Amino acid sequence: MSAEALAALPTRANRRARLIFGIFLAALLSWLALDLSLADAIPRESGAGILSLFVEGALSPAMSYEAAEVPAGTPPLLSKVLEAVWTTLLFAVAGMSLAVVLGLFFGFLGATSWWKDDGADSPLGQGLLSRAMPVIYGVVRVWIALMRSVHELLWAILFLVAFGLNNFSAVIAIAIPYGGTLAKVFSEMLDECPRESARSLRAIGAGPLQVFLWGLLPRAFADMSAYAFYRFECAVRSSAVLGFFGYPTIGYYLRLSAENLHYREVWTYLYALIALVLIVELWSSKLRERIVIR
Amino acid sequence: MSARVEALYKSRPRSRFVQLTLWSFGLFTLLTWLSGVIQPASFLTARRLENLERFLTVDIVPAPLREGGFDLGALITWTQGVLLDHGLDALLATLAISVLAIVLAMLLSWLFAPLAAATLSTRRPFDATPGQDLFGWRALRLVTRAVMILLRSIPEYVLAFLLLAILGPNHAWPAVLALALHNSGILGRLGAETIENLDPQPLRTLTAIGAPRRSLLVSAVFPLALGRYLLYFFYRFETCVREATVLGMLGVVSLGYYIQQARGKMYYDEMLLLILLGAGIVIASDILSAVARRYLRTAS
Repeated sequence: MSAEALAALPTRANRRARLIFGIFLAALLSWLALDLSLADAIPRESGAGILSLFVEGALSPAMSYEAAEVPAGTPPLLSKVLEAVWTTLLFAVAGMSLAVVLGLFFGFLGATSWWKDDGADSPLGQGLLSRAMPVIYGVVRVWIALMRSVHELLWAILFLVAFGLNNFSAVIAIAIPYGGTLAKVFSEMLDECPRESARSLRAIGAGPLQVFLWGLLPRAFADMSAYAFYRFECAVRSSAVLGFFGYPTIGYYLRLSAENLHYREVWTYLYALIALVLIVELWSSKLRERIVIR
Repeated sequence: MSARVEALYKSRPRSRFVQLTLWSFGLFTLLTWLSGVIQPASFLTARRLENLERFLTVDIVPAPLREGGFDLGALITWTQGVLLDHGLDALLATLAISVLAIVLAMLLSWLFAPLAAATLSTRRPFDATPGQDLFGWRALRLVTRAVMILLRSIPEYVLAFLLLAILGPNHAWPAVLALALHNSGILGRLGAETIENLDPQPLRTLTAIGAPRRSLLVSAVFPLALGRYLLYFFYRFETCVREATVLGMLGVVSLGYYIQQARGKMYYDEMLLLILLGAGIVIASDILSAVARRYLRTAS
């Protein structure tokens, strides 16, 4: 360790200590602002009853309906659960496939490495495009921030009001914020990947688009697909929650069962969701293991 | 020359598993769009377009501007009215919920992470040749991991919904606890990975000179892992703010509560304003966490 590095150690420790102190102070202030009392965090009366139902349900999830009478012709509970899992997956896949398209498009426009490279001549030449690109870039960055800073449930509400209940609105509600997040991360990955292939392509006369397609995209592709897969995990959860707004995913049935105090059914849906998320998570972590080439 | 290129191309790293994934995903996406559950073609019916037009030209236009054209003074008065009546309070509550939740999540994850880390939660920590582990240690790791998986695979919104039934309305605990529990699962896993990825050499030296597990944890593992952990912490804080906004829709007083109320009363102009306020607070927390991360990184 060099002398400078040694001298830097105390500052680093100080900064961390200061940050952690700040974090705890903020938590204390939040506690006071929310006017919370510890007694409220403990379930009472009816709540305790529900808690015991809830714990009971966790230990013995329902395999058939809890209601004493079920209308004739109702499919068995487990097939309903499977159907809910299936729609949850469909919504997530549809939303993600649109999000990837949006993410690639805006990620491309929100990256700088294909049209600007420090220490090299401007790859766009001196034409109109070289002057327009910084403006486009700025607008796209703001647009990306807007897309992703509105939560998918809020997009869902906006579309509910604007279009009414329709499965496609749920899909776009997932696609827009996820597309924004993908665009942000994709553009960062495109800007941070090694530049040497891009530079050699440029040196032999490749245009900006060619540099992007053959010099930058292949370099960042592994990281990009690993990240997209991670977001797919989140999309499955979001898709399940969209059911709370009337879409036929897991959340819809879970809410109905909970409102009827059928907590054993609630746990059947919860376990189904957990299994789904777990499978996707295992798959994606396995993929990440294989995909890291560098 | 081209033969060399071809040979290089053939020797590129490839994995069956990755190819299988890409193919099956492509097929599944196709299947999804063809399944008929989602029908983009019949989406824009005449009635929907009418609905959309009304929404864009009437519903979301701030009430005082609907007749008589644009009037900046009226717009400002209306915005101030919404903000002062409940908007700013809700904003503050949203922020407070997320700060408290993420700190609770951090404390919980400080419990989970060392118990789940394979290099630490074992008979001889940071041993170069670990060998077969005792059943007790393996069970401890397994249980901790299972708890974390359970916590992080249930969405915050569902957790809050269930906690609301158990703890009752009129206070922020369901939202705070839902966010804290979900994020403790995520931060715990990231923390455990951080510990597992630490450079084992200095830690091995400490165990070799007889450092007990407790002091190893407090005076070596914790400070070594803290830097990276804080990066994750701030990244999760951003998502916490985002989620805290919508948890209000269940009935906890955050921005979402008033968004839901405005929707119920069909005050769509106010609803849009509150949604934009939510977007603003998310962007602000994004910037705050980026600043904090740079502050950590540039310490020199």
